[in-house]
Amino acid sequence: MKIRKLLRILHRDFGYFIVGMTIVYALSGIFLNHRYDFNPDYKIFVSEFQTDFRNKTNLTQPEVESVLQSLDQKVVYKKHYLTNRGIVKVFIESGEVLINPKTGEGVMRYLRKRPIIYGMNKLHTSSLGTVWKWGSDAMAVILLFVAVSGLFILKGKRGFNRWGWWLTAAGFAIPLVFALLFI
Amino acid sequence: MKKLLLLSVFALILFSCGNQKSKKQVAVQPVTEVAILSVDDLIKQSADLADKEVVVKGTVMHVCTHSGKRCFIMGSNEDITIRIEAGDKIGSFSQELMGSDIEITGVLREVKTDAQAHKPGEHAGEHAKGEHKEDAATEKAHKVIADSQEKSETVYFIEGIESKVL
Repeated sequence: MKIRKLLRILHRDFGYFIVGMTIVYALSGIFLNHRYDFNPDYKIFVSEFQTDFRNKTNLTQPEVESVLQSLDQKVVYKKHYLTNRGIVKVFIESGEVLINPKTGEGVMRYLRKRPIIYGMNKLHTSSLGTVWKWGSDAMAVILLFVAVSGLFILKGKRGFNRWGWWLTAAGFAIPLVFALLFI
Repeated sequence: MKKLLLLSVFALILFSCGNQKSKKQVAVQPVTEVAILSVDDLIKQSADLADKEVVVKGTVMHVCTHSGKRCFIMGSNEDITIRIEAGDKIGSFSQELMGSDIEITGVLREVKTDAQAHKPGEHAGEHAKGEHKEDAATEKAHKVIADSQEKSETVYFIEGIESKVL
């Protein structure tokens, strides 16, 4: 079998195989690029509320739980403690609640996972342990093969030698320019 | 069919390479029993436990929002905390862990501040008396650094190997 024909077959089949992974990496790459513009993993809901507590130094668990029950959002109490600043910090499932026992003012910070994006980001950042790290390495090698083999599939006027190398060079030039300017 | 076979062989080679390495790593690690410490006890014994494997349990009080690559667990109060860096096996900590009690196995690491890294006294000791002359400004600068060194504190953190929600 000729090399070019073999490359075409491998490029095609590995190309099909890697589509899902490429979509995961590309989309989550965009989200993670903007991680300082917004939280890519969670939607954060912040709400302020007022309780009847006045001039207290601390709150008991039943008092905290009664506050949580009065909130619009259904939340589950985990535990609480008094901070050095005299604020009661309550851990709830998927967030936290801060209550000032002196003024009765409270703030709830509730987190909700972004359904699909959260999973994709975890895959992208290799945050799922050792097995996935090696799995994603294998996928990266396949993706590399698909990219490089693509250079040599076509021949003639639109092949790498006459047409492709211009675009390939442009693709290298963009990150290179940024690297030279900013690194 | 041939193509499928080719794909399978390729995947098999890649994964088998990875597995061989992990088997080797398991074989090298010594089996040791480590006592489970509270954060308070860990902080008290931190100087002796530096660079050793420890198991500590505490309440997660903060998880790094952007990456989840680190979290802080607290002991009896919010002043007694230790930072946990998620290792390869842990990957990352989720925000849902906030307020949960966890048990972390990892290696306690010590971070020295710049002031501690710079030890003018030790360098001066390398020279014989009178051999190393310094001007007044340098002497003064060294004194300032030495003073800040006394005030500086050593920070400890754990390189997490394994985590378990209690």
